Order: sequence, then C-alpha cells, then structure tokens
Amino acid sequence: MGTDWNKMADNAKTRSDMYGLLTLVFRQEPSEAFINELRGPRLSGAFSDMELDMGGSFYSEPVSAIADQLALEFSRLFIGPGRHISAHESIFTEVDGDSGGLWGARTVEVKKFIETTGLDYASQFTGLPDHISVELEFMQKLADWEADKWIEMDRISAEYCLSIQRMFLQQHILGWIPKFCDAVVAQADIPFYRELAELTKNFLKLEERSLIIDTAA
Amino acid sequence: MKKLNRRDFMKLTAGSGCALAAGLGCSQSAFAGSLKLQAGGKDFSPTTGKERQAIPTACWQCVTRDSMIGYVEDGRLVKLEGHPDSIRTLGKLCAKGQAGINQVYFPDRILHPMKRAGKRGEHKWKRISWDEALDLIVSKLKPLRDAGTPELFMYQYGRHKASQAATMYDFMQAYGTGTIGNHTSVCEAAKWVGQESLWGGMYDNWDYDNTDYVVIFGSNQFETHTNHIPTAQRLIRAKVDRGVPLYVFDVRLTNTAAKADQWVPIKVGHDGLVMLAMCNVIMNEKLYRKDHFKFMRVSEDYKATVDEKIAAVKKNVAKYTPEFAEKQSGVPADTIRKIARGFAKAKSACLVTYRGTVMHYHGADQERAAMLLSAITNNLDRPGGRVMGVGAGWKHPSSPKAKVHKTLHVKDGFPGEAAYPTHHVSHQVLPMIKDGQAGRPKVYWWSCYNPGFINGDNKELQSIMRDESIIPFLISTTIVYDESSQYADLILPDVTYLERWDWEDMVSANQIAEFYIRQPLVKPLGESRCQGDVWPELAKRMGFELAYSSKEDFVRQSCEMTPGVREAGGFEYMKKHGVWHDPEAKPNYGFYETKVDVSGDGVILDEKTGVYWNWKKAGVGTEAEAKGQGYLGTKGAKKAYVAQNIDGTAYLAYPPNTKFVKAGYLDFYSDNFADKGFPAFPSYTPIPEHQKMADDELNLTTYKVAVHTHSRTAHCKWLTEIKHDNPGWINTKTAEARGIKNGDKIRVYNSLGEITTTAYVTEGIIPGVIAISHHLGRKHSGVYGSGKRSPTPGGAAADPDVKNIWWKKHGTHPNTIIPNSSDPISGTQRWMDTVVRVAKA
Repeated sequence: MGTDWNKMADNAKTRSDMYGLLTLVFRQEPSEAFINELRGPRLSGAFSDMELDMGGSFYSEPVSAIADQLALEFSRLFIGPGRHISAHESIFTEVDGDSGGLWGARTVEVKKFIETTGLDYASQFTGLPDHISVELEFMQKLADWEADKWIEMDRISAEYCLSIQRMFLQQHILGWIPKFCDAVVAQADIPFYRELAELTKNFLKLEERSLIIDTAA
Repeated sequence: MKKLNRRDFMKLTAGSGCALAAGLGCSQSAFAGSLKLQAGGKDFSPTTGKERQAIPTACWQCVTRDSMIGYVEDGRLVKLEGHPDSIRTLGKLCAKGQAGINQVYFPDRILHPMKRAGKRGEHKWKRISWDEALDLIVSKLKPLRDAGTPELFMYQYGRHKASQAATMYDFMQAYGTGTIGNHTSVCEAAKWVGQESLWGGMYDNWDYDNTDYVVIFGSNQFETHTNHIPTAQRLIRAKVDRGVPLYVFDVRLTNTAAKADQWVPIKVGHDGLVMLAMCNVIMNEKLYRKDHFKFMRVSEDYKATVDEKIAAVKKNVAKYTPEFAEKQSGVPADTIRKIARGFAKAKSACLVTYRGTVMHYHGADQERAAMLLSAITNNLDRPGGRVMGVGAGWKHPSSPKAKVHKTLHVKDGFPGEAAYPTHHVSHQVLPMIKDGQAGRPKVYWWSCYNPGFINGDNKELQSIMRDESIIPFLISTTIVYDESSQYADLILPDVTYLERWDWEDMVSANQIAEFYIRQPLVKPLGESRCQGDVWPELAKRMGFELAYSSKEDFVRQSCEMTPGVREAGGFEYMKKHGVWHDPEAKPNYGFYETKVDVSGDGVILDEKTGVYWNWKKAGVGTEAEAKGQGYLGTKGAKKAYVAQNIDGTAYLAYPPNTKFVKAGYLDFYSDNFADKGFPAFPSYTPIPEHQKMADDELNLTTYKVAVHTHSRTAHCKWLTEIKHDNPGWINTKTAEARGIKNGDKIRVYNSLGEITTTAYVTEGIIPGVIAISHHLGRKHSGVYGSGKRSPTPGGAAADPDVKNIWWKKHGTHPNTIIPNSSDPISGTQRWMDTVVRVAKA
C-alpha cells in the first residue's frame, strides 16, 4: 500500500500545532487576544467535546478580568516569588547527582540537543533553555519540519525527524512534564491551568503511545 | 476530562489555527535560525568532552571580596576557586566563596520584575516587563525631582562596595538625592568612629607577615572576618611557621581561640578595660616605646614634651590596675600582666579588635583604647603591627550632578542619639521614617539589603514596611524573596555577583594595593539585571544622561583612566588576568613620618595646635583674620590642613580627613569627645543595662559562623547543609542553675519577645551569657533558607535535592529580641548589650 503523504503531513501538522498551542499556554501570561481566541466558538467547542471544564466564569467575565486573574495565577504557579512550580527540567530531574538547581546539567543537555539540530536560542529570549515552553516549542518546530518533508515526499528526512522527536520525548519531555502537570493540577486555584495541564498530560500520553510504544511494537 | 484521541487534538488544533498563526499571547520565540537536521547543526561530541573556560572574577559572598577563578562548561558555572595570582588571597577561597555557585542556580531565585497585586505581605504578584517596571519607577521618581524634592527618594543598601557603590552614588548625585542609607551601624561603625577620632580616615589592617606577637579581642579571625582569607592564612602561617604567640580574649571558645596559645575568657563589654589595664602595666613597668609619643596628644596641652606625655598617659591609666580589671572583667590580673609584657617586649605586635569589642555602649571608646595600646608600644603603622589598610585607588567616570541636591535627615538616628554618626545609624532609618519628625520618603528602594531581618527588633521594622501610609512606594532589588521584599510594591530581579561587572578595591594584607575586577561568568539568568545597568536606563527615561552606558562601560572606562592599570593594558588586560598590582610597589608603612614642605602660598602655622594650614584654601579673607580666629576656630580649616609641627619638623602626621576637627596628632585627648560629654581620654565606661541586671538575667551575645553571612547565604544549600541550626551556647553552671541540660529546648526572652532554641551546654563560654549566631531563623529565602517546603510539589520542593535534606532544624533569629539601641558616641547598634532571661521550654 502506498504512503498517504497528505495524511502523514496532516498528522505531523496537527501535532506541531498542538505543541504550539501548549507553548503559548506555558510561555507567559495569556494576552486578552489569546483569551478571546480560546473563548471563541471553534476552540470552546473543541474544549467542550474534550470535556475540558474551564469554568463558567472563563466565558462570562470580561476578558480583561480573566487576563488579570490568569496573570496572577501564572505568577503564583510558575514564577513566584516564593513558593511556585518551577517550569524547568533541571528542577525536576537528576543527572549524575546534579539536581535541583536552575541551569543544571539537564539544562545543558537540552540546550545541546536543540543546538545540534541547527537552532540557536534567540538573543532576545530571556528564559532558560529547559523551560517547558522551550521544549514544547522545539517539538512544534520539529513536527512542523516533519510535515514539510511529508509534503515534499521526502520519507527519509521525515522519518529521521521523527526519530529526533522520539529521542527528545524519551530523553527529556516524558521524564518530567507529566510530573510537572500533576503538580499544576494539584495546585491550580482556577480551572484554566488545571485543565490545560491535564490536556498536556493526555496529549503527551498519546505522543508516547503513537511515537514510541506503537513504533516499538 | 474524557480519554482523548488523535481526532480530538485535530479538532482542537484546527480551532487554534488563528491563535497560532497570529502568535497571540506569545511575544517571542525561544529560537533563532532554522532546523538543519541533515546538515547536523553544531557538533557536540560526547567523546571530546566539554569546553571549559577559566574566567578571572571576584567573590561577593562577604565584604572580603576575594579575587577568584570561575570555571564554566557549556555556559554553566561548575566551579569557583581562589585566584592564584592574587597577592591578597594567594589563591585561597573560603567555603562561602566556593558555594557561590548556589547563588546563581538556587531554584527559588527571582528571575522577573514582579509587581505587587494584593496587599503588602499578601504574597500576590504579577510579572511585568522591565519596560513596565522602569516606567513605573520613573512615574514615582521623576515628579519628585521635577518638584525640587529629590530627597523624598530614599535608597538604602546592604552590601555595595567599589564600582557597585560608585555607580549608585553617581546616579543619586545626578538625580539629586542624598537620602542614601547604608548598613554600617549594624556592622562595625563604632570601630571606624573610634579610629577616625584618632588617626583620621584610615582603617586598620594587621601585618601578620612580619609580626612577632598577636592579641585578639572579640574577633573570630580564623572563621569569619572582614578581611578573612587574606588575613587568616597569614596569621596561621605566622603561628605555625614562626611560632608567633597568639592570645584570644573572647566570651566564647571560638575556633580562633581554640587555635591560640591561650583562650582568655572575658566578660561581655570589658575588652577596653583590659586593654587599659595592659597599658597600666606597660606604663608602670616602663615597657613603653617612646617613638610614637611625639605623634600623640594625651592632654589638653598641644605642646607637651614626650616625657610630659608619658606622665600623662601613666596618670590616665593609673586607675585601671590589673586587679581592678580582674574584678570587673573576670580576667586574672596575672594573665593581664603576662600578655601586656609579652605584647610590649615583642619586636612587633598586632592588636586586633572587632565586633565583640565595639558593638557596645561606648564601643567607639573601646577602639580608642586599642589604638592607645598599639601607640604606646610603637605598633601603629609599623611593620608587624596594626597598620593602615591599603586598597586600590580606582579612577572612574563621573556624571554631571543635579542642580538641586537635598537630603532627608533620617540616616543619623534621632536627635541626640549619637554624637558622631559618621557612618550613619542605619538600624534607625525605618523607626525615624515612622516617627516622621525628619520627614518621610515617598519612595524607599533597597538593594542587597534585608532591613526586616538584619536589624534589631525586626518585627517592628517589618510592620513599618507593611504600612502603606508610612512609605507609599517600596522597591526591592533582590535575587531572593525575603523578609523585606515580601512587603515591596515592586521587586526587581538582581543579578548575582557572578553575572556582573565591577572593579574592586578591598584592602591588601601585605600593604600593597591590588586592583582587581569582577566579570560575568555566565549570562544573567532570566530577566535579572545589574543595578549598574539600570541606572543609565532610568536616567535616560528621566531626561538626564550618565557618564556611562552600562556597568561594563563604567568598568571599561575606569580601567582606561586608572594609572597603572591603564599602562598594564587597561580593560583588556584586566579581563584576561583579573588582578593587577604594581610590581615595583613597596609595602606602605609609616605614612605619618612623611616630611612636608610648608613653604606654599597661604600656609601658616597655628600657634595653639602646631598645625600648618593653608588659610587661602580654607576660604578665609586675610592672613590676619586667619591667625586671629586660629585653625580650630575656622570652619572648614581641617580641609586646609597641611602638616603638624613636631619639635620643629613639619610632618604629615595624622590629617583630620574625616568629620572630626582635630590637629595632626593622634588625638588620645579628644576635645571632640569632651565637648559632647564623653571621656576625653580612653576610659572604661560600664554598660548601663549590665549594672542593673537581676540575678536570673543573662547577657545575650551574637556571633558569625564560618559558612554564612548575616542574611545572604541561607539559600545556598551547600552552606546550609553544613550550618542550619544555631543553638544557644550556655555555660555549664549557668545552665545547671536553670535546670537546663545539653540539648534541652530553651526559651530566651525579654520585653521584646521570645525565641526558642536548644541549649548547647559547654565550658566553652563564660558564665552569665547566652550566645546565639545571627544568620538563621529565616521566614523566607527559599526551602534551604527557611526550611519551609513549598505547599506545591514544584518549585524548590520539586528539587530532587530537597529529599536529601537530612536536618530538621533551621535555627532561630536572635535579632527578634534585640532592641535597636545605639552607642551614644558612634551610633553603632549595640548588639552585645542585650539582657535576657533563659528558661527550659
């Protein structure tokens, strides 16, 4: 049976977009424009189908009030000061006894991994190399590149790119982001980040199944 | 949420297309460039290892500021060690210095500007951009400046030195405020005030490389000291290699006392008395050396002969017999005699004092006693003695000063509180502001400082910060959320010292100046930003320019302006080597013996004091007028000081280059002190509170430990693992009288409140005292600092190292029950005079 190049491309593009959406969620406090998109009919419908409960007030309160609430929640959950859930891989994982600090050994591994693919960190980017949104954005770019290769009917490049994605998922993302999401679910005060953390975790489960478990089988 | 499949995500992403396409909500991509998978990107071989860079820089964990080397692998700092080419540190670095890595990478670090969203102290914050933060600050500061009230902006700092201080003062002068507070009164102000009243603006160092005898009062030199690594290793070497005798007077058996020839236990607040008793022995047994007497003033008579001065000193110390001193201090008279004789007979001798001696009622006078003992044995500024500290004299750019420059007088304590607060009364700044009689700032900005923790009665100070009606706008520049920044309206994420530029100037231990720099080892984490980079940006937004565009630019210009450094290769040389000293320089001793040409235009001799001064420089109309009013009668004449006439020779002597108006003599008889009602000659003045103690009361003293600074290291996990508890040291008999056994939980209390800790029952402390170190008992400062696990499983609690925290205790903070109370001479905080009761909890 021949390869359905379009289907492969669509599949990769879906994954890329999903990573892109989650990148936006975790990169910084949501803007009013982003909240408006999330509350719009297409996304709210998708959320409803997925049984994501963002809470009634998310749709009914003025967007500026929601933006304000989410900015506070974002700071409280992910930034501090004080008690918070640090959104960095090096905080959640240990490498050869090195653990628990910002810019740890794991951060270096992530940075190197990403740089081996030809990407550089943008000079204006002030986050750390292993922030959750960086790892998700990296996956977005890989999947997007993979989609292009399917469209170009370049199977070798597309599958090579898939192997890179598998490696990054196994070596980094799956090792800590589900744990991070569990923490968010447990500690979120309002539904927005709890539900999106659940969504992230579910999406990564699906990624693990389709890219790693099923492939191995 | 239901179980999801790929189709669900397709639906979701189809709907999110608009958001993604527009990049809504996301202002920046983390990446530049494009994927080049086949090309292979950058080549990192797992077999060739990591690239390691060695970068010279300087420490900042404590004021010693050792030069050091940082090792960086893959953009990550992995190790710090002493700089082998430093003539100050000789390649050594203490535990605190090596743990500096923890400062950069601790998981609770503040990485973004944060604006308060709830009430002060409610811990609700919103991240804002630097642009927003700077605009907010300008919206507060510019109106004050435009209205001609720049003094209503107050800045207060804890650790600012060298170029960190120079850039800050430069900005404040360009802005126009002189309302700048420091922290020196909680550190050692009395020591400096005592010295300034005698030999001017010089501060002592100890020439261990050449000394033959060392006596230390109230200073834990081997564990922690203002110039720790440069001096401690030299003292060890003197003792081990040359067998130099070392005697340590202290209420505790410190690790310095333990390494001494003899630990001499002494009652709290009696160091000066024992020094005066040593002077008594030396004068009575004619063990003094005459050499320095001609530079001393010991009575009202400026023209006394050396023999008359000897007689006057003898008379002044006559009442301080060893027996009297024994009765008061607990030090046996025979011990005083033995050490006095040894000190006087040694070819050279160092007398060391620090916080244990001076942080008392009349602490400044105790320091004067130390100077007297050094002077009569000719051990002032001589090889092997108590010498003048020599630091690097950097030149640096200066910005145009503001036309309107004003100061709010909240820095020097309440009226009448301190006679000579030349280093200010920093612990009373917030109480002064609350009181309001000297006005209140509208904006209070503090940096590298934690006023709600490091001062006395700190709960009261926190309540002042919490009250928005007292100070409307608070800004904190910090790397960690702490007891003070919790009340700020705006938190600015500071860089650590390992991410910034500076030139440095701490004094050398060998009398030769060392010039050294600090340079970033790694890029600042997150959005953290150096204050020296913030100043030019703020100035620009307020419509004035500074003479530098960034801290790096300031350091670069300084390197190119400073003689010696410039010729060695300037900024590029310093970046490569980190340190520089003049290879031709000779150790600096005996500056007071410099002979001065007094033939200059306008120089006249003041008959009363023997001072040569330049009446023209003093701004007097005519020579006759100048002679008529005399040197001491002319305001500002000390700035026109030229020399001191001693036996017909004009010597530089000891110029009055501080706020003290004096002749060029070592002013052991001080009109300044007498005029304010204090003893003119170094004296023993009992501590009032100690004279009326009830039988069940004890003295509370505090101290430092080797692995922590006062408030800046508790979040460093390597250090906190070593030292995380501060039990109360209590003598066996004192404990027994209260039914306290070693390890018992105890209450320490007085009218200010109560703290609890455990008892360390030991013979290593004198009876009648409880000693508690002052760096622990944090309420914030991250999981390592406070011991509080985050209620969330992320943040520091997600740090796998947290599971390795094997200790359960996190200490107590004694400052809670220590009042803010000043030495009436210097304004120094009287840390060691507190009276408490102790009981089994």
